[in-house]
Parts: sequence; structure tokens; C-alpha cells
Amino acid sequence: MRIVVGIKWVPNTQAVRFDPETGTLIRKGVPSIVNPHDLPAVELSLRLRDVVGGEVIAISMAPPPAAKGLELVLGMGVDRAILVTDRVYAGADTLATSYVLAKAIQKIDSEIGKVDLIVFGQETIDSTTAHIPAQVASWLELPYVYYVKEATVVDGGRVRVVRELEEYLEEYELELPAVLGVAVRAFKPRPVTLSMKLRSKIERRLIVWTNDDLKLDPRCTGLRGSPTIVAKTIDMPEVPRRKEVFKPRDAKEAARWIVAKMLEDDKLRELLYRSLWGVRG
Amino acid sequence: MSSAIDCSKLCPEWPCEQPSEFKNVWVVIEADESGLSEASLQMLTPGRRIADKLGEKLVGVLVGYRVSHLAEDVIKYGADEVIVVDSEALKTYYPRVYALTIVELARKYKPSVIFIAGTKRGREFAPYIANTLKAGITADCTDFDVDVESRDVLLIRPPFAAILLAYIKTPFRRPQIGTARPNVFPVPARDESRKGEIIFENVANISEDRMKLVSRRRVSRGEVGIEKAEVIVSGGKGVGGPEGFKYLEELAEILGGTIGASRKAVDAGWISEDRQVGQTGKSVKPILYIAVGISGAAQHMIGVREATRIIAINIDPEAPILSQADYSVIGDYREVIPALIEELKALKEKGPEAVEEYIKWLREIEGKR
Repeated sequence: MRIVVGIKWVPNTQAVRFDPETGTLIRKGVPSIVNPHDLPAVELSLRLRDVVGGEVIAISMAPPPAAKGLELVLGMGVDRAILVTDRVYAGADTLATSYVLAKAIQKIDSEIGKVDLIVFGQETIDSTTAHIPAQVASWLELPYVYYVKEATVVDGGRVRVVRELEEYLEEYELELPAVLGVAVRAFKPRPVTLSMKLRSKIERRLIVWTNDDLKLDPRCTGLRGSPTIVAKTIDMPEVPRRKEVFKPRDAKEAARWIVAKMLEDDKLRELLYRSLWGVRG
Repeated sequence: MSSAIDCSKLCPEWPCEQPSEFKNVWVVIEADESGLSEASLQMLTPGRRIADKLGEKLVGVLVGYRVSHLAEDVIKYGADEVIVVDSEALKTYYPRVYALTIVELARKYKPSVIFIAGTKRGREFAPYIANTLKAGITADCTDFDVDVESRDVLLIRPPFAAILLAYIKTPFRRPQIGTARPNVFPVPARDESRKGEIIFENVANISEDRMKLVSRRRVSRGEVGIEKAEVIVSGGKGVGGPEGFKYLEELAEILGGTIGASRKAVDAGWISEDRQVGQTGKSVKPILYIAVGISGAAQHMIGVREATRIIAINIDPEAPILSQADYSVIGDYREVIPALIEELKALKEKGPEAVEEYIKWLREIEGKR
């Protein structure tokens, strides 16, 4: 069984800080990481491979530094990795990104061997759209399902999954090939081992494809292949808040202050009257 | 109006279409055995506003099995028209069947805009619709507007961990597709007197032969969901462990509220995922949000923008939450919350007559400082 797992190399949004002097964003020097929500997808892929045999191929469309991220998942035990990189892919929205990924997956299918399953993390921490799994499924016309928290291969030709919606737990069977979006936190990723990392380095398990390999029409990739355009960005406007901070002498005083503030505040007094005495404030 | 598009400059995989061929604002209305999805009805709010700005019709698209009787309701919530596909083929939800049904309708009617609620299903089928039409899609919008000159819709969303707000448009392609998380917009007021046209459509031969539903069962949560709660007592990393949430639960109970959490508390396994507030969790709109041991990261705060008031309890005098809350106290929640519960119980006992003495006390200590 051949499983392709998608990886995104993202800025670590947790590391973004505000400059307290100017109140603006400090975006410089923000380190990049493998999108944390992709790691459960890698783990699921490895588990399925460990049960049924075959190989896991990680794929990422990104500038060259993303090789680091692919090396990391090779260190988890991924069999090989493909970095799809070219200047003409830059500035892509999700449609143009999914196009390149779908075409690369087709190339894997025709040149390396039949692709049975395509697995993605549910969303990324930097853009959180959750578009890519469905969009790749659309280019390839494959069945797909999101929020997968369990998956097993049955009879070699199908995958049975459990997924959770707001109020329902659903079980589906999909014919292979199929596309899965793996729920955030669904599988605990195994650690990276140095021996795996070394092995993949020595055996050159990371390969690079450019548009010389994929030969895609540049009108369909990058900024040109993207129907959406960012007209402008602004810093997120602040919500007006009262910003009253109290340093109490003790917990008793803290509690009294909170209650007093609630009683003084029209919006909260009403609420307190209702919850304490069941009457209007 | 934008000038004609030269299709030779566009990706040949895209159909050659002019934006001027497209008209009207669609809202996809999800419905199931329990009725219309509230999150979908919420999308009629921006839908109505954008349709009015464009001078076009607001059309509800209601797709499902035995849903026809719900179409009148969609009109009452603000739609001018409803297109209904009521078919046994849609009895079981499959993402591709649902998406391709809407694709068929969109190819026939050519809407300029499609708004879809970012429910879990919506987030699943919306990108398949967009991609099949080779249209642009923008997820998790927090607002919409119209560029008056070009008549392009501006889809406003917070990328990059909710720190930025991006204005996105899709000038060369139609329809312009956007999703928004539940609770970002209110459900429009229901107007019993509204009248509108209901159009029944049949979509031929869309079926899913490569995927089947094996089982489906309702997960009972047994508690008030955080989306509807008026009071949420929410815990973060600073709560320190699952046992800490017991304090929060007790406080929530006395205030008639429920429990929420930050991503870090959910990641740590202290509390279930359905409680998570923030960008990867839910947007909430309580009257009171009490943030306990929550630092105030942008990704969390985007989920509480609609909270009327925020009270923060945090031990760290440098925590960013202090400048994003209405009332903050610096202290150990393990002491502050039990004291607060005591104070509330005492107040409850004393009755509304005691309110005066709190206000008086507040004036006194504020005078001293």
C-alpha cells in the first residue's frame, strides 16, 4: 500500500509576539515548524503502513527551506519525501496549491507506483482553512472525508474510518484510492529518531521536483493560478475593553472586587440577579 | 463593473466565464431531521447585507431529504427566494454528493456569491464546491463587504494566527465563495409576513458509489454547549491539571454557566475538545467570559471577540490577557475562585438589598487608590 501524506512548513504562530512599545507585530525571526496538525496524519500513515506494508511518501509544496520539515518526518519513519518547489508556485492560494499537489500525486502514481491513500492534517496553524484535502480530492475526483480519528484498512481495497461531527459519530467505508483529513490530536506522533534521520540522509530519501519535472502551465500555479487575491492586510482591530486590573491584598478582597464590579456593570448586574435570585436587575 | 476578462491569460483548466454573467447572493442552508441548521441561518445575516449592497437577490439553497417544508422558514429569515432540492439521493450525507448537487445548481443559476456556514460539514463540502467550479474560496470570514467600484465582494478573515485581518477578493472568478464559523453572525430576526418564491429543482444522477456510511450515532454531550452559554468559565495552561477544572465547574454552576478551555488545556488532555474556544476551537458569545489561567494569545482571543464582558483571573501580572479583559484580578485561582464562590453564596443569602454595600465598598477602595 502506498500512502502519500501532505506536510506544510509553517511559521510557528505561537512564537509571534507584539512589540509592547509600538503595539505592532514582530514577524521577523519567527521560526518555522512542521504544521503540528500534520503530525497526526503522518502518524496514522505510518501505523497503516506498519500493519499492511508498503510505503509512506511525504510531500510538501514550499520554498527550499521546507526540506527541514521533510527531514523531520523522514526521521519519524516516513520512507521517502518529495519537496515540490519552484518560483512559479509562489504566492499560491489553496486552489493553486491543491493543483500542484494533485499533479505531483498523479506523477507519483504514474512514475513511482500506484497511490492508494492520500492523508492530510485537518488544517494548518497559520491559515486554518482546511481546504486542501477536499480540493485535492476534487482535482483527483476521489472520495474523501474529514475529521478522521480512527482508520483501518479492510480487505485491502477499502479504508474504514470513524469521524466526529458536532453531534454525531460517524463510520464510513471509502474505496481506495481516497483522501482523508485527520482530526487535530487524533494520533500521538512518534518521536523523530536520529538513526532514521541519518538513514534517510545516507540513502537520499528526500527528492526535489521543480516545474521542470511537473511541467505545469504557469497560468495554473502560484499567484497566477490563484483566484483569490489579498487586497490588503491590517493588524487585527482591538476589541474595546475596560482593562481594569486589580491587585488584591488577598483572595477575599479579589472576590469582593469581582462581585462589586459585576454589580456596578449594567450588563453583568442583570446576569447576576438572574443567576442568584432569578429576578431582573 | 470590471472590464471583460481575457481568458487566454487564465489557467486553461478554468472555464472561461465573465463575472458579469453571475448574479445574486446564495446561502447554503443545511438541514437535517432536527430542522434548519442555526449556523446556516446565521449566514443569511451577511447574505442580506451583501445582497442589498449589490442590489441583488438573496437566495437560500436548501438541499436534503424531506426538507421542502422548511423552505418557507428560510424566506421568513430574510431570503427573497429559496431553491430546494429534496431527494432521497440526499438522505445520507456524502461530502461529494452534497457538493456536486450545489455545483450543478451553481452552473445553472450562476450566483455571484455563495456563503456557507463553517460547520464541520460545511468546512468539508465547501472547498469541493469551490474547486469543482474553479472558484476562489475564503474560509473563516469574520466579515464581508463590497468594493463599490468593482462590485467585488471583500471577504475579511484573520490569517496568521488571528493577528492579522486580510481583505480578500476574487476579481476574475465567480462565484465568490466564503465560509464563516458558527456564531460569528447572529440569526436574522424572523419576519412572519415575508413572502418569497420557492423553486423546486431536481438534480439528476449524483450518487456516491465509492463511499458508504456504515453507522451514525448521536454523541450525547449531556451539558450546555459552549456556543449557547451565557456564562463560560474557561481554563488555560495556568489551571495546571484536570483537577483544577473542578473549581471552574463549581463557579460556572453558581453563575448558571458552563466550562470552556484554551487549546493548551485541551492539548494537555485536561478537558474534552468540544470545550475549546478559539481559532481551532469555537467562537463563543457569552455575556460573561471568565478566563482562568489563560495567557491571552491572539488565537484564543479571536474566539471571544463577541463576549460582552471578560473577567480574567491570572497569577502572572505580565499576562497579555490583562490588557484584553474588562476586569482582571492578579492572583492564584485556587484561592480566588473558592473565595468568589463564597462571596457569591453570601450575596445570594443576603439578597439584592446587599448590593448597595458592595458599591459603597468599591467607592471606598477606589478612593484610596
